[in-house]
Amino acid sequence: MDERDLINRVRAGDGFAERALYDAHVDRVYRLAYRLAGDDALAQDFTQETFIRAFEKLDTFRGESALSTWLHAITTTVVLNGLRKVKRFHKRETDLEAADGVTGGPRQAEPDLKVRLRQAIDALPQGYRTVFVMHDIEGFTHEEIGVALGVETGTSKAQLSRARAKLRESLADFAGEWVT
Amino acid sequence: MMFDNDEDKFAEWLQHAGKTYHDPRPTPRDDMWTRIEAERARRAARRVVELRPWARWTLAAAAALVLGIGIGRWTAQQRTGGPAGTPVAGADTSNRDMVYQVAATQYLSRTETFLTGFRADLRAGRADTRFPGQARDLLTTTRLLLDSPAADDPRMRGLLEDLELVLVQISQLPAARQRHDTDLITQGMDQRSVLPKLRSAIPAGPVPVRTQGAT
Repeated sequence: MDERDLINRVRAGDGFAERALYDAHVDRVYRLAYRLAGDDALAQDFTQETFIRAFEKLDTFRGESALSTWLHAITTTVVLNGLRKVKRFHKRETDLEAADGVTGGPRQAEPDLKVRLRQAIDALPQGYRTVFVMHDIEGFTHEEIGVALGVETGTSKAQLSRARAKLRESLADFAGEWVT
Repeated sequence: MMFDNDEDKFAEWLQHAGKTYHDPRPTPRDDMWTRIEAERARRAARRVVELRPWARWTLAAAAALVLGIGIGRWTAQQRTGGPAGTPVAGADTSNRDMVYQVAATQYLSRTETFLTGFRADLRAGRADTRFPGQARDLLTTTRLLLDSPAADDPRMRGLLEDLELVLVQISQLPAARQRHDTDLITQGMDQRSVLPKLRSAIPAGPVPVRTQGAT
Protein backbone atom coordinates (compact mmCIF):
# COMPACT_ATOMS: atom_id res chain seq x y z
CA MET A 1 0.00 0.00 0.00
CA ASP A 2 1.22 3.50 -0.86
CA GLU A 3 2.34 5.46 2.20
CA ARG A 4 0.01 8.33 1.41
CA ASP A 5 -2.96 5.96 1.24
CA LEU A 6 -1.88 4.43 4.51
CA ILE A 7 -1.71 7.83 6.17
CA ASN A 8 -5.14 8.78 4.83
CA ARG A 9 -6.60 5.56 6.16
CA VAL A 10 -5.06 6.14 9.58
CA ARG A 11 -6.49 9.65 9.59
CA ALA A 12 -9.89 8.17 8.82
CA GLY A 13 -9.60 6.00 11.93
CA ASP A 14 -8.74 2.69 10.26
CA GLY A 15 -7.28 0.45 12.97
CA PHE A 16 -5.66 -1.96 10.50
CA ALA A 17 -3.87 0.92 8.81
CA GLU A 18 -2.59 2.10 12.19
CA ARG A 19 -1.07 -1.29 12.83
CA ALA A 20 0.43 -1.39 9.32
CA LEU A 21 2.02 2.01 9.83
CA TYR A 22 3.37 0.89 13.18
CA ASP A 23 4.79 -2.34 11.73
CA ALA A 24 6.50 -0.45 8.93
CA HIS A 25 8.40 1.88 11.26
CA VAL A 26 8.61 0.37 14.72
CA ASP A 27 11.92 -1.45 14.26
CA ARG A 28 13.91 1.65 13.45
CA VAL A 29 12.16 3.75 16.08
CA TYR A 30 12.79 1.12 18.75
CA ARG A 31 16.42 0.64 17.71
CA LEU A 32 17.08 4.36 17.86
CA ALA A 33 15.34 4.66 21.22
CA TYR A 34 17.30 1.71 22.57
CA ARG A 35 20.63 2.98 21.30
CA LEU A 36 20.06 6.35 22.91
CA ALA A 37 18.48 5.09 26.13
CA GLY A 38 20.56 1.96 26.67
CA ASP A 39 17.71 0.40 28.60
CA ASP A 40 15.01 -1.87 27.23
CA ALA A 41 12.19 -0.65 29.48
CA LEU A 42 12.96 2.98 28.66
CA ALA A 43 13.30 2.19 24.96
CA GLN A 44 9.88 0.52 24.97
CA ASP A 45 8.33 3.45 26.84
CA PHE A 46 9.85 5.94 24.41
CA THR A 47 8.75 3.90 21.39
CA GLN A 48 5.21 3.66 22.70
CA GLU A 49 5.08 7.39 23.42
CA THR A 50 6.45 8.14 19.95
CA PHE A 51 3.65 6.24 18.23
CA ILE A 52 0.96 7.57 20.54
CA ARG A 53 2.05 11.12 19.71
CA ALA A 54 2.40 10.29 16.03
CA PHE A 55 -1.17 8.99 15.82
CA GLU A 56 -2.43 12.00 17.75
CA LYS A 57 -0.58 14.46 15.53
CA LEU A 58 -0.82 12.73 12.18
CA ASP A 59 -3.27 15.37 10.99
CA THR A 60 -0.43 17.90 11.26
CA PHE A 61 1.91 15.84 9.05
CA ARG A 62 2.05 17.72 5.76
CA GLY A 63 4.18 15.30 3.79
CA GLU A 64 7.02 17.78 3.28
CA SER A 65 9.45 15.11 4.48
CA ALA A 66 9.23 11.33 4.56
CA LEU A 67 6.98 9.94 7.25
CA SER A 68 10.00 8.10 8.68
CA THR A 69 11.87 11.39 9.07
CA TRP A 70 8.87 12.92 10.82
CA LEU A 71 8.62 9.90 13.10
CA HIS A 72 12.32 10.04 13.94
CA ALA A 73 11.98 13.69 14.84
CA ILE A 74 9.26 12.72 17.33
CA THR A 75 11.43 9.84 18.55
CA THR A 76 14.44 12.01 19.29
CA THR A 77 12.28 14.61 21.03
CA VAL A 78 10.62 11.96 23.18
CA VAL A 79 13.88 10.17 23.97
CA LEU A 80 15.97 13.24 24.74
CA ASN A 81 13.25 14.79 26.91
CA GLY A 82 12.70 11.45 28.62
CA LEU A 83 16.39 10.95 29.24
CA ARG A 84 16.66 14.37 30.83
CA LYS A 85 13.97 13.31 33.28
CA VAL A 86 15.72 10.07 34.20
CA LYS A 87 19.25 11.43 33.92
CA ARG A 88 20.12 11.05 37.59
CA PHE A 89 18.77 7.55 37.79
CA HIS A 90 20.42 6.57 34.53
CA LYS A 91 23.78 8.02 35.57
CA ARG A 92 23.70 6.15 38.86
CA GLU A 93 22.89 2.96 37.00
CA THR A 94 25.74 3.50 34.54
CA ASP A 95 28.15 4.21 37.38
CA LEU A 96 27.13 1.05 39.15
CA GLU A 97 27.61 -0.98 35.98
CA ALA A 98 31.01 0.57 35.45
CA ALA A 99 31.98 -0.23 39.05
CA ASP A 100 30.91 -3.81 38.49
CA GLY A 101 33.02 -4.07 35.37
CA VAL A 102 31.53 -6.20 32.63
CA THR A 103 27.75 -6.45 32.88
CA GLY A 104 24.85 -7.87 30.95
CA GLY A 105 24.91 -11.03 28.86
CA PRO A 106 27.90 -12.95 27.59
CA ARG A 107 30.51 -10.60 26.19
CA GLN A 108 32.42 -11.18 23.06
CA ALA A 109 36.10 -10.48 22.48
CA GLU A 110 37.95 -7.52 24.03
CA PRO A 111 35.56 -6.92 26.91
CA ASP A 112 37.67 -4.11 28.31
CA LEU A 113 37.61 -2.24 25.01
CA LYS A 114 33.83 -2.59 24.76
CA VAL A 115 33.30 -1.32 28.26
CA ARG A 116 35.65 1.57 27.66
CA LEU A 117 33.96 2.37 24.36
CA ARG A 118 30.54 2.36 26.01
CA GLN A 119 31.79 4.61 28.79
CA ALA A 120 33.43 6.95 26.29
CA ILE A 121 30.24 7.25 24.22
CA ASP A 122 28.12 7.71 27.35
CA ALA A 123 30.46 10.49 28.45
CA LEU A 124 29.97 12.49 25.25
CA PRO A 125 27.89 15.65 25.50
CA GLN A 126 24.26 14.83 24.69
CA GLY A 127 24.31 16.57 21.29
CA TYR A 128 27.50 14.83 20.17
CA ARG A 129 26.32 11.46 21.41
CA THR A 130 22.96 11.76 19.65
CA VAL A 131 24.54 12.63 16.31
CA PHE A 132 27.23 9.95 16.70
CA VAL A 133 24.69 7.23 17.53
CA MET A 134 22.36 8.25 14.72
CA HIS A 135 25.08 8.55 12.06
CA ASP A 136 27.83 6.10 12.90
CA ILE A 137 25.79 3.40 14.59
CA GLU A 138 22.30 3.60 13.12
CA GLY A 139 23.30 4.88 9.69
CA PHE A 140 21.16 8.02 9.44
CA THR A 141 22.33 10.62 6.94
CA HIS A 142 23.27 14.11 8.06
CA GLU A 143 20.17 15.40 6.26
CA GLU A 144 17.93 13.04 8.22
CA ILE A 145 19.66 13.96 11.47
CA GLY A 146 19.29 17.66 10.68
CA VAL A 147 15.53 17.31 10.22
CA ALA A 148 15.10 15.04 13.25
CA LEU A 149 17.05 17.29 15.59
CA GLY A 150 16.02 20.58 14.00
CA VAL A 151 19.61 21.60 13.21
CA GLU A 152 21.52 22.45 10.04
CA THR A 153 23.26 19.63 8.18
CA GLY A 154 26.57 21.39 8.81
CA THR A 155 25.90 21.35 12.55
CA SER A 156 25.33 17.62 12.41
CA LYS A 157 28.62 17.12 10.55
CA ALA A 158 30.51 19.33 12.97
CA GLN A 159 29.08 17.54 16.00
CA LEU A 160 29.99 14.15 14.54
CA SER A 161 33.52 15.31 13.89
CA ARG A 162 33.86 16.57 17.48
CA ALA A 163 32.33 13.39 18.85
CA ARG A 164 34.85 11.28 16.96
CA ALA A 165 37.70 13.48 18.13
CA LYS A 166 36.63 13.11 21.75
CA LEU A 167 36.25 9.36 21.38
CA ARG A 168 39.65 9.07 19.80
CA GLU A 169 41.12 10.95 22.72
CA SER A 170 39.26 8.79 25.26
CA LEU A 171 40.31 5.58 23.53
CA ALA A 172 43.92 6.54 22.88
CA ASP A 173 45.07 3.45 24.83
CA PHE A 174 43.52 1.31 22.12
CA ALA A 175 45.09 3.09 19.15
CA GLY A 176 46.54 -0.19 17.96
CA GLU A 177 43.05 -1.51 17.32
CA TRP A 178 42.30 0.80 14.44
CA VAL A 179 45.81 1.49 13.23
CA THR A 180 46.22 -2.19 12.44
CA MET B 1 47.53 12.48 4.05
CA MET B 2 48.78 10.12 6.70
CA PHE B 3 46.59 11.96 9.19
CA ASP B 4 43.49 11.73 6.97
CA ASN B 5 44.11 8.05 6.42
CA ASP B 6 44.42 7.53 10.15
CA GLU B 7 41.21 9.47 10.72
CA ASP B 8 39.41 7.37 8.15
CA LYS B 9 40.67 4.18 9.77
CA PHE B 10 39.48 5.36 13.15
CA ALA B 11 36.05 6.33 11.77
CA GLU B 12 35.74 2.97 10.07
CA TRP B 13 36.80 1.11 13.20
CA LEU B 14 34.45 3.20 15.32
CA GLN B 15 31.47 2.45 13.10
CA HIS B 16 32.24 -1.25 13.39
CA ALA B 17 33.01 -1.32 17.12
CA GLY B 18 30.14 1.03 17.89
CA LYS B 19 27.60 -1.60 16.83
CA THR B 20 28.05 -3.16 20.26
CA TYR B 21 26.98 0.07 21.96
CA HIS B 22 23.52 -0.43 23.50
CA ASP B 23 22.88 -3.24 21.06
CA PRO B 24 19.09 -3.66 20.98
CA ARG B 25 17.31 -6.97 21.28
CA PRO B 26 14.64 -7.92 18.72
CA THR B 27 11.77 -5.43 18.70
CA PRO B 28 8.98 -6.55 21.04
CA ARG B 29 6.43 -5.20 18.57
CA ASP B 30 3.32 -7.06 19.74
CA ASP B 31 3.88 -6.26 23.41
CA MET B 32 4.40 -2.61 22.63
CA TRP B 33 1.41 -2.45 20.30
CA THR B 34 -0.84 -3.89 23.00
CA ARG B 35 0.36 -1.26 25.43
CA ILE B 36 0.04 1.53 22.85
CA GLU B 37 -3.60 0.63 22.22
CA ALA B 38 -4.34 0.40 25.92
CA GLU B 39 -2.64 3.72 26.65
CA ARG B 40 -4.43 5.49 23.81
CA ALA B 41 -7.76 4.17 25.04
CA ARG B 42 -6.90 5.21 28.60
CA ARG B 43 -5.97 8.74 27.50
CA ALA B 44 -9.08 9.05 25.36
CA ALA B 45 -11.24 7.90 28.26
CA ARG B 46 -9.45 10.29 30.61
CA ARG B 47 -10.14 13.14 28.22
CA VAL B 48 -13.81 12.24 28.23
CA VAL B 49 -13.85 11.99 32.02
CA GLU B 50 -12.02 15.28 32.41
CA LEU B 51 -14.60 16.96 30.22
CA ARG B 52 -17.44 15.70 32.35
CA PRO B 53 -20.05 16.49 33.47
CA TRP B 54 -21.39 16.30 29.97
CA ALA B 55 -24.69 17.66 31.01
CA ARG B 56 -23.09 20.99 31.91
CA TRP B 57 -21.42 21.33 28.53
CA THR B 58 -24.56 20.30 26.75
CA LEU B 59 -26.60 22.73 28.76
CA ALA B 60 -24.06 25.48 28.10
CA ALA B 61 -24.19 24.86 24.37
CA ALA B 62 -27.96 24.56 24.41
CA ALA B 63 -28.24 27.74 26.46
CA ALA B 64 -26.03 29.56 23.98
CA LEU B 65 -28.28 28.39 21.17
CA VAL B 66 -31.48 29.33 22.91
CA LEU B 67 -29.99 32.70 23.82
CA GLY B 68 -28.97 33.24 20.21
CA ILE B 69 -32.40 32.39 18.93
CA GLY B 70 -33.97 34.64 21.56
CA ILE B 71 -31.69 37.58 20.76
CA GLY B 72 -32.29 37.12 17.05
CA ARG B 73 -36.06 37.10 17.39
CA TRP B 74 -36.17 39.93 19.89
CA THR B 75 -33.94 42.21 17.83
CA ALA B 76 -35.95 41.37 14.73
CA GLN B 77 -39.12 42.49 16.45
CA GLN B 78 -37.45 45.65 17.75
CA ARG B 79 -36.13 46.67 14.35
CA THR B 80 -39.09 45.80 12.18
CA GLY B 81 -42.00 45.75 14.53
CA GLY B 82 -42.98 42.65 12.60
CA PRO B 83 -43.37 39.07 13.62
CA ALA B 84 -40.54 36.92 14.84
CA GLY B 85 -38.41 35.39 12.16
CA THR B 86 -38.24 38.47 9.94
CA PRO B 87 -34.76 38.63 8.42
CA VAL B 88 -32.42 40.97 10.25
CA ALA B 89 -29.33 42.44 8.66
CA GLY B 90 -26.16 44.10 9.91
CA ALA B 91 -24.64 43.95 13.36
CA ASP B 92 -27.51 42.01 14.96
CA THR B 93 -27.14 39.25 12.40
CA SER B 94 -23.40 39.24 12.95
CA ASN B 95 -23.80 38.88 16.73
CA ARG B 96 -26.36 36.16 16.31
CA ASP B 97 -24.15 34.26 13.87
CA MET B 98 -21.25 34.51 16.27
CA VAL B 99 -23.33 32.95 19.03
CA TYR B 100 -24.27 30.05 16.77
CA GLN B 101 -20.68 29.70 15.62
CA VAL B 102 -19.39 29.48 19.18
CA ALA B 103 -22.05 26.96 20.13
CA ALA B 104 -21.43 24.90 16.99
CA THR B 105 -17.67 24.87 17.52
CA GLN B 106 -18.07 23.76 21.13
CA TYR B 107 -20.48 21.08 20.06
CA LEU B 108 -18.28 19.78 17.24
CA SER B 109 -15.26 19.64 19.50
CA ARG B 110 -17.14 17.72 22.23
CA THR B 111 -18.58 15.34 19.67
CA GLU B 112 -15.18 14.69 18.13
CA THR B 113 -13.73 13.87 21.55
CA PHE B 114 -16.71 11.68 22.33
CA LEU B 115 -16.53 9.69 19.07
CA THR B 116 -12.75 9.30 19.32
CA GLY B 117 -13.14 7.95 22.84
CA PHE B 118 -15.96 5.69 21.72
CA ARG B 119 -13.86 4.17 18.91
CA ALA B 120 -10.84 3.78 21.17
CA ASP B 121 -13.00 1.94 23.67
CA LEU B 122 -14.25 -0.42 20.99
CA ARG B 123 -10.72 -1.11 19.81
CA ALA B 124 -9.61 -1.87 23.35
CA GLY B 125 -12.53 -4.29 23.65
CA ARG B 126 -14.17 -2.34 26.44
CA ALA B 127 -17.84 -1.54 26.78
CA ASP B 128 -18.29 1.70 28.69
CA THR B 129 -21.95 1.89 29.66
CA ARG B 130 -21.81 5.70 29.88
CA PHE B 131 -21.56 6.19 26.13
CA PRO B 132 -25.29 5.83 25.33
CA GLY B 133 -26.16 8.45 27.93
CA GLN B 134 -23.51 10.83 26.64
CA ALA B 135 -24.74 10.27 23.09
CA ARG B 136 -28.27 11.24 24.17
CA ASP B 137 -26.92 14.48 25.68
CA LEU B 138 -25.11 15.32 22.46
CA LEU B 139 -28.15 14.36 20.42
CA THR B 140 -30.18 17.10 22.11
CA THR B 141 -27.65 19.71 21.02
CA THR B 142 -27.43 18.19 17.54
CA ARG B 143 -31.16 18.66 17.03
CA LEU B 144 -31.07 22.18 18.39
CA LEU B 145 -28.30 23.01 15.94
CA LEU B 146 -30.19 21.39 13.07
CA ASP B 147 -33.09 23.73 13.80
CA SER B 148 -30.81 26.77 14.05
CA PRO B 149 -29.20 29.01 11.41
CA ALA B 150 -25.99 27.06 11.98
CA ALA B 151 -27.52 24.42 9.72
CA ASP B 152 -28.13 26.91 6.90
CA ASP B 153 -24.77 25.87 5.47
CA PRO B 154 -25.44 22.70 3.45
CA ARG B 155 -22.11 21.11 4.49
CA MET B 156 -22.78 21.74 8.16
CA ARG B 157 -26.31 20.39 7.78
CA GLY B 158 -24.98 17.25 6.12
CA LEU B 159 -22.44 16.75 8.90
CA LEU B 160 -25.04 17.34 11.61
CA GLU B 161 -27.37 14.83 9.99
CA ASP B 162 -24.57 12.24 9.86
CA LEU B 163 -23.75 12.91 13.48
CA GLU B 164 -27.40 12.68 14.46
CA LEU B 165 -27.58 9.22 12.89
CA VAL B 166 -24.42 8.00 14.62
CA LEU B 167 -25.46 9.45 17.97
CA VAL B 168 -28.91 7.87 17.70
CA GLN B 169 -27.28 4.49 17.07
CA ILE B 170 -24.93 4.87 20.04
CA SER B 171 -27.70 6.13 22.32
CA GLN B 172 -29.71 2.99 21.55
CA LEU B 173 -26.89 0.54 22.22
CA PRO B 174 -28.09 -2.14 24.62
CA ALA B 175 -26.18 -2.65 27.86
CA ALA B 176 -25.35 -6.21 26.76
CA ARG B 177 -24.17 -5.13 23.36
CA GLN B 178 -22.96 -7.50 20.69
CA ARG B 179 -19.99 -6.95 18.44
CA HIS B 180 -22.42 -6.74 15.53
CA ASP B 181 -24.12 -3.68 17.09
CA THR B 182 -20.92 -1.68 17.34
CA ASP B 183 -19.59 -2.87 13.97
CA LEU B 184 -22.63 -1.37 12.27
CA ILE B 185 -21.94 1.97 13.91
CA THR B 186 -18.24 2.06 13.04
CA GLN B 187 -18.95 0.92 9.47
CA GLY B 188 -21.47 3.72 9.12
CA MET B 189 -18.94 6.22 10.48
CA ASP B 190 -16.26 4.98 8.08
CA GLN B 191 -18.53 4.95 5.04
CA ARG B 192 -19.60 8.53 5.65
CA SER B 193 -16.08 9.62 6.75
CA VAL B 194 -17.74 11.14 9.78
CA LEU B 195 -14.61 11.68 11.87
CA PRO B 196 -12.48 13.25 9.10
CA LYS B 197 -15.37 15.55 8.16
CA LEU B 198 -15.91 16.42 11.79
CA ARG B 199 -12.23 17.20 12.34
CA SER B 200 -12.01 19.35 9.25
CA ALA B 201 -15.10 21.29 10.35
CA ILE B 202 -13.50 22.26 13.67
CA PRO B 203 -11.59 25.53 13.28
CA ALA B 204 -7.88 25.44 14.13
CA GLY B 205 -6.85 26.87 17.49
CA PRO B 206 -8.36 26.68 20.95
CA VAL B 207 -12.03 25.85 21.22
CA PRO B 208 -14.02 28.83 22.48
CA VAL B 209 -15.18 28.16 26.00
CA ARG B 210 -18.45 29.40 27.37
CA THR B 211 -19.52 28.07 30.71
CA GLN B 212 -22.42 29.08 32.79
CA GLY B 213 -21.50 31.15 35.78
CA ALA B 214 -18.05 31.96 34.46
CA THR B 215 -16.76 35.38 35.34
